[in-house]
Amino acid sequence: MMDERQSELAALHALDLLEGAEREQFAAELGRSSELRKLVGDLRQAAAALAYLAPQADPPAALKARVLASASAARVPAPPDARGAPAPRRRPAAPRAWIPWLAAACLGMALVWSERLYFAAKSEVMSLRDERRLAELTLEQARAQLGDKARLLAASDRRAGELSERLKAAGDLARLRISTLASLAGNPPVPVAVAVWDPGREEGVLAVSGLPAPAAGRDYQLWVIDTQYPSPVSAGVFEVDPATGEARAAFRAARPVKSIAKFAVSLERKGGVPEREGPIVLLGQ
Amino acid sequence: MSLALPILPASPAWIGSVCLGRGRVPLVQMMSAGDAESLDARARANAELLRRMAGGDRDALAELYDHLSRALYSTARHILNDPAEAQDVVHDVFLALWENASVFDSSRGSAFSWAVTLTRNRSIDRLRTRQNRERLLGNSVPDDLGYGSNAGFLGADDWAELGDRADSVRSAIDALPDDQRRALELAFFSGLTQSEIAGRLGEPLGTIKARIRRGLGKLRDMLGHRL
Repeated sequence: MMDERQSELAALHALDLLEGAEREQFAAELGRSSELRKLVGDLRQAAAALAYLAPQADPPAALKARVLASASAARVPAPPDARGAPAPRRRPAAPRAWIPWLAAACLGMALVWSERLYFAAKSEVMSLRDERRLAELTLEQARAQLGDKARLLAASDRRAGELSERLKAAGDLARLRISTLASLAGNPPVPVAVAVWDPGREEGVLAVSGLPAPAAGRDYQLWVIDTQYPSPVSAGVFEVDPATGEARAAFRAARPVKSIAKFAVSLERKGGVPEREGPIVLLGQ
Repeated sequence: MSLALPILPASPAWIGSVCLGRGRVPLVQMMSAGDAESLDARARANAELLRRMAGGDRDALAELYDHLSRALYSTARHILNDPAEAQDVVHDVFLALWENASVFDSSRGSAFSWAVTLTRNRSIDRLRTRQNRERLLGNSVPDDLGYGSNAGFLGADDWAELGDRADSVRSAIDALPDDQRRALELAFFSGLTQSEIAGRLGEPLGTIKARIRRGLGKLRDMLGHRL
């Protein structure tokens, strides 16, 4: 049974006049009482009748058109029997005749495009390979040039060494005393002899050509003429090849030599003599 | 216990019960069988229109608009005192009915009361927004809103325009005592709080609450779900 307080609160609630804690308290009561909820519903229904207390006026005719237009633009409410049920499946549209042709054309275009991409990629790969090969060749050439340069450098080094040696030899030769010996006989063939003397080492080399072999029991003997001595100093005997008339022999002076003025070759007894006895056959300058 | 109702032109006889604090009291007059059938038929017709609207029937919406737009627009305009704003409210209400027609449950109330409740709430929301913005109605309701001593009551011409359906409603409303009707009118249209209504009418708050309870109870007993 509804008491007066509840009836009053229900009437005020039906007109939305409850506020704050009073409203919250009554809402809690509503949740517990179906009878109270029904009373509020009935009172709201009755309150709607108060709308007829307003001075009546017709809305403008355009308002109806506006409402209907807005409803057309708004979503269409779902039919009640369809609510909650899955949406009807739309029947697929019938395929059109041009769709296969369109698909084929698209496939063909795709193939052409793919082929272009393939050849473009292949060409690029080949180009890269050529560039790689060219780079390898260039590297090989560079390496070869480097080897050549290294060999040239080594050769230059060797040549420099040789030149250095030659310079050294030249320096040594500068110190040498070179003398040519001329025949005093005047008979052809004219014998020629060259004597090279190293004063540092006090030794020398004699080279002879065109000199006839000496008679038996005789030897050619070389003499060094030094002005500090009153007679030539013996430098030893040497043998001549009877077939060619040539001779090559290293020699040393029998006495210390400071300054050689000339060289001389005489025909002496076999084995040589301390002092010149025989005729001089070759005399140097 | 009997209660004499005001005599209205061609007013029907009412017999029913009205809640007067404790218990129900039979009325000496009763709604005629024709009035009751008319209201019931109208309620059923509106419920059917909402059902069709739920299925997307725009013709049903147009028909429901014809049934309700006058009362809704008048209500909104009376609350807002602004025809343009009233049109906006009515537009929004019908759009809400269109989009939510499927949730309508006739066992919980009539389409008319649902639409009126939407209209009133939206109008009062606009009114309060306007009041808060301009602070024009802080303590009282201006006289130009029509809440004077006798303002807001329909004249004979107005009632005539409401037609048969309104005849039944007006009989019920006019059966209310003036103090109850005035309290209900302010409570329904003004957007004022209980205290503001009491201040406006110069009565204690408890008295206003009692008047609202009694007046609304009488209307419920007389009209039921026939709106």
